[in-house]
Amino acid sequence: MTATGQIAAHGLALQVEDLHVSYGPKRAVDGVSLGINEGEIFGLLGPNGAGKTSTLSAIEGLVRPDSGSIRVGDVNARANPAAAKARMGVQLQSTSFQSNLTIREIVRLYAGLYGVPLTRAGIDDLLADVHLGEEASKRFSQLSGGQQKRVSLLIATIHSPPLVLLDEPTAGLDPQARRQLWDRIERLRDIGRSILLTTHSMEEAQAVCHRVAIIDRGKLLTVDTPAGLIEKHKDDPRVRKVAHGQVTLEDVFIGLTGSELRD
Amino acid sequence: MSNEASATLGRPPTLSGILRALLQADLTVQLRNGQALLLTFFPPLAVLYGLSAGKRGVQLGSPIVKVSFALTLGIALIAILGYTASVARDRELGVFQRLRVTPAPTWTIMVSRLAVQILSMLAMSVVVLVAAAVVENVRLDPAAYLLTLLAVIFSSAVFLGVGQALVGLIKSVDTVNAVGRLSFLPLVALGLFGHSDIFGTTFETISRWSPGGAVATLLAGAMQTAAWSTDTWGAFLASVLYAVVFAGVGIRWFQWSTR
Repeated sequence: MTATGQIAAHGLALQVEDLHVSYGPKRAVDGVSLGINEGEIFGLLGPNGAGKTSTLSAIEGLVRPDSGSIRVGDVNARANPAAAKARMGVQLQSTSFQSNLTIREIVRLYAGLYGVPLTRAGIDDLLADVHLGEEASKRFSQLSGGQQKRVSLLIATIHSPPLVLLDEPTAGLDPQARRQLWDRIERLRDIGRSILLTTHSMEEAQAVCHRVAIIDRGKLLTVDTPAGLIEKHKDDPRVRKVAHGQVTLEDVFIGLTGSELRD
Repeated sequence: MSNEASATLGRPPTLSGILRALLQADLTVQLRNGQALLLTFFPPLAVLYGLSAGKRGVQLGSPIVKVSFALTLGIALIAILGYTASVARDRELGVFQRLRVTPAPTWTIMVSRLAVQILSMLAMSVVVLVAAAVVENVRLDPAAYLLTLLAVIFSSAVFLGVGQALVGLIKSVDTVNAVGRLSFLPLVALGLFGHSDIFGTTFETISRWSPGGAVATLLAGAMQTAAWSTDTWGAFLASVLYAVVFAGVGIRWFQWSTR
């Protein structure tokens, strides 16, 4: 990883260039370029409707970009989506699984979809590893919010992908569950996974992300380490105006994106 | 761990592995859904018994026609009410979006669901044909049974096409359910009168060429191959047309997400 917001010349787990996504006349992503280094946790910060999920959706293959290129490792994701999807794990913002399947059956389904051979004992081991061994026979809807997020993360990483995309992974969790999930995200980083996550939480961005990009109205406004962003923007009049004392990442975020309410 | 091997390779899984995983899951969901099972077996058996009783039953046509209508009703219920409800609900919950971010080609997700529906229809047909042998003393030769099951698969294409069109054009779960129930009368129940002139010949003609009427005629023709006629060929061609048009609309305008 580079010390600042620069993209390293090699070893990129994900490279997005000049991405444009529209929904009818509305432009959701407007020329976004970003690169994620191997073993890096990269945070995408933005207010509601800023283009975070649309950017992720384009990378995941859920929406077709108007233009731009997406490379997952050495795979061109737009030309070869199946190969790209095999190299990435995805946790959607609100995930749901077939309501009549048990957790064990859900894990078996997704292991099959990623071509991972798992025995029943293997599935139970994986569930025990995320403290869900006793929930194996329950339905997804019967789990708590934290347990559901753990199932989602387990499934996102069941094929040990080099790149993991997490859309607001800790939204709606209590502090204990949030900390547990941060630990799991950091463990993924420790075994060499690259992670792109979106979040509203400055605390989360500072706690787990190597680098953070702030996005608003479909455009990337700035990219750097959390400390680098504060240093870079601490004298910006828009940031000074909203700061109460020492400038924080939240001050930078609000200063750059504005303080009006978003839908 | 055993899943480490795929980590370094990052290769897409095989198509057969994907289909096996999807089919296993969809079949489990179907078998575990008590409401779907009830919808699959109870109404066609009730109709078969109901049509066999009383004077009106005699007017509606031969025993073969009553069996063909029970089969038509069963197929239509599974496709227009069961299939559409499950697809609309899962789409609203985001189940499809979760599946679409895996390497599984999108067509496999739908093919697996359709295959499970066709299996349900075949199971229902076997039960109805056994009941018909008991209730109406309708016993076919082995070739006719085989042809009838082939006609069931073909008829399922008509109503699954209708279901696909419904769920393709309408996003909301509640609206899909409501429109499914409302469309049942013109699409299916109308076909009940295609073999009877109790409401006049014009009504009979409309009824005979409705999707339900065409499918009922096709099924009746398959059950008595000796009586296969130009009407049966007409019903066959009408069924092809309905299947292609409805499925085409449903595939063309289907949306994977409610957003």
